[in-house]
Amino acid sequence: MDTFLYLTRRVLQSLVVILIVTVVVFCLLHALPGGPARGILGPQATAQQIAQFNHEQGLDRSLPVQYLYYLRTLLHGDLGTSYTLNEAVSRLIEQRLPKTLVLTVLSALVGLALAVPLGMWQAVRRNRPVDYVITTLSFVAYSTPVYFLGLVLVLVFTQLLPWFPSQAPQGDTLGQVLAQPNALVLPVVAGAASMVAVFSRYMRAATLENLSEDYVRTVRAGGSGPRAILWRHVFRNSLTPVVAMLGYYVPVLFGGALVVEQLFNYPGMGLLFWSAAQSSDYPVLLGCVLVISVATVVGTLLADVVQRIIDPRVKAGRA
Amino acid sequence: MSILEIENLGVTFSTETGDVPAVRDVSLRVRPGETLALVGESGSGKSTVALAAMGLLPGSARATGRVRVGGTDVIGAAEADLAGLRGRTASMVFQEPATALDPLTRIGAQIAEVIRNHRPVPVKDAAREAVELLRRVGIPEPERRAFAYPFQLSGGQRQRVVIAMAIANAPSLLIADEPTTALDVTVQAEILDLLRGLAADSGTGVLLVTHNMGVVADFADRVAVMLQGEVVETGPVEEVLLRPTDDYTRRLLEAVPRLSLADPPSGARDRPVEEPVVDLREVSVRFGRGRRAVRALDGVSLTVRPGETVGLVGESGSGKSTAARVALGLVAPSAGSVSLFGADLGRAGGRARRALLSGVGVVLQDPVASLDARMSVGECVAEPLRVHRRGMSSAERRARVADVLELVRLPRDLAHRGPRELSGGQRQRVSLARALVLRPRLLVADEPTSALDVSVQRSVLEVIRELQDELGFACLFVSHDLAVVQQFAQHVVVLRAGRIEEEGSTATTLLHPRTDYTRRLIAAVPVPDPVLQRRRRDERRAAMGVKA
Repeated sequence: MDTFLYLTRRVLQSLVVILIVTVVVFCLLHALPGGPARGILGPQATAQQIAQFNHEQGLDRSLPVQYLYYLRTLLHGDLGTSYTLNEAVSRLIEQRLPKTLVLTVLSALVGLALAVPLGMWQAVRRNRPVDYVITTLSFVAYSTPVYFLGLVLVLVFTQLLPWFPSQAPQGDTLGQVLAQPNALVLPVVAGAASMVAVFSRYMRAATLENLSEDYVRTVRAGGSGPRAILWRHVFRNSLTPVVAMLGYYVPVLFGGALVVEQLFNYPGMGLLFWSAAQSSDYPVLLGCVLVISVATVVGTLLADVVQRIIDPRVKAGRA
Repeated sequence: MSILEIENLGVTFSTETGDVPAVRDVSLRVRPGETLALVGESGSGKSTVALAAMGLLPGSARATGRVRVGGTDVIGAAEADLAGLRGRTASMVFQEPATALDPLTRIGAQIAEVIRNHRPVPVKDAAREAVELLRRVGIPEPERRAFAYPFQLSGGQRQRVVIAMAIANAPSLLIADEPTTALDVTVQAEILDLLRGLAADSGTGVLLVTHNMGVVADFADRVAVMLQGEVVETGPVEEVLLRPTDDYTRRLLEAVPRLSLADPPSGARDRPVEEPVVDLREVSVRFGRGRRAVRALDGVSLTVRPGETVGLVGESGSGKSTAARVALGLVAPSAGSVSLFGADLGRAGGRARRALLSGVGVVLQDPVASLDARMSVGECVAEPLRVHRRGMSSAERRARVADVLELVRLPRDLAHRGPRELSGGQRQRVSLARALVLRPRLLVADEPTSALDVSVQRSVLEVIRELQDELGFACLFVSHDLAVVQQFAQHVVVLRAGRIEEEGSTATTLLHPRTDYTRRLIAAVPVPDPVLQRRRRDERRAAMGVKA
């Protein structure tokens, strides 16, 4: 199919998905007990104060009306104002998102750069000591909660071996963050650990499957050596399922950022989401969820596009 | 000097349950320019011998004895030395063209890789050579096609690409493992012609592994017959195929269904006059929508009358399986009507539809995939009873299952075993028992014996025929094998690209076809008689305007 048509269709589909996400999140948030007024004004607030707050914020109108109102302002780039921070949500996200992106993209890149070769190495050395050792480490890394792993990292690499600072880079601009690469190491490692574990398993399975495919025998029969077989043929074929998984992994990465940002005191989206959830700050919560769902949809879209590039069969609708 | 010398080859596979010998004491020779066919049924070890010659045995295999290719010892050789041999001195063509090529690499690049593995040719020159090779193996527009991915080619074209890779460095030995088994007969004939021409041009020795005696007659100079890992008979093709000395060879050849080319003693019989059990009228089936829609059937009308067998033949993609599925109610026609036992299947719903369909039994091609491995044989066979005869007690059901197992000549106590414990032929009889347990009036058999060895095929077909005489069901028999259809069906329908090309009584249609297509289809079937096959081949090529 024509690539332009395909992209247009996929982008439109993505918009529909995002719209549905906003509806679902909106309904869920309004189903919470207590409502935001009680959360903002505290337990001492009188019924009159709560009614007034609800009226000022438009919370006394019917849900569909509130939703449409929300959607209209959304189209103007206005995500509302935080109940607790007294700042435009769009402004908050604008400040925090780049930092989280730096963290998650770096984690993802580091994670993949380790996971792919590790998985292939395991497949080639299947059922030998290397395979067992990496498999064990993968399961340990995968089953260790990020907050625990983060604490261990802090303990080992800032206290016992004072190689890295225990705080993530501080500062408001991206430039300031990137100027302290040393401080980024531990947060990125904490974020990448589970990714290495998960994706090295995928890569190992995909490589093993491909190594037993008929085409490998054909390539061998043509006189190609093991190295050429692995890198020229098996690598690309094994990558396609892994790339497909990547898009679905975006929300997991954001979830990980939530914990990592807490641990290393890194004021990104995760921290923002956390404090907003604690104070029932609806506009901020909705804004965050929206951003994360857009990121997920964009991630999936990107994964699909990359897959179309790697695998010509996808483009032809054969795979 | 021989290009391939195998002396006392033994191959053992180590499995979880111990060592399993696959090949024992095999000695063979292939001289330059000669084709040796290695024949035998599945499990006879013929493919293992071929892989051993290329040094491509899997890690679980242990080889003993001596294998020399062009004077180099293969057994025990280092992987690097083998890589230097493979694709240059000896190369191989595989059975399954659908999976034999890297799906993500352009075919020109795959051929060029083989060239550059052995000759220090610049990338550009290798690409040019690849195009030349594609031209030699008969790929149209090779300059453009070199940039195609495997999925953009047909099965026959893919096999041509695999052959192009195999001949890229003019090897002295070509090993072909069932090179045409996955292909239609007409494509098979073309590929065999191609291989024969290439081998003759360059004096290449060929080791041809096949189970198809027609292919052997068409191609081989000498034949070695394998049984349970050992060679039981070797000799020139005329000797082995026409005057076999070994008992097993004789039995194997007897089991091969032969396309009879002379008029049978009894002429064409009239079709039964009763109301048809299944009646497809002007049925069209489309898959997909819009511009990409595929017309699988286009205005097909066919009937099967009580007690008769109608053969449905055609090449892959001709729509024969789709037609069978329409008769089974599995595919709804986009136009036309289907009536089953006189009732309109399209209009019947719910219980009425179920009742109609309970009168149809089905046997499919793959005996492994069509039985649930988690159910015992008894449960598999009893399932239609549980669906359609809900009032039946479990004791009655057990009795009926045991009876029907006996009917297909399986022991009654097989009911407690799992399908995996059975051989291919036994499994297919279990499928047949399941199809017959409701005493259907129509049996739909879609390539029921294509996955089986010839000797097993014969016994399964015999069981079906005897039961048909006994129980009187009609049969819609889908097959690509014209010889089997000729023996089995009274009426034959030839499909081509979703349309009926011609139909008539089997006796006349397959002997005196009216259309060119059917004629070509029949001419392409190789017969297991080397003398006759040579004549047929010359006639076929003359008809196509090719010089013999």
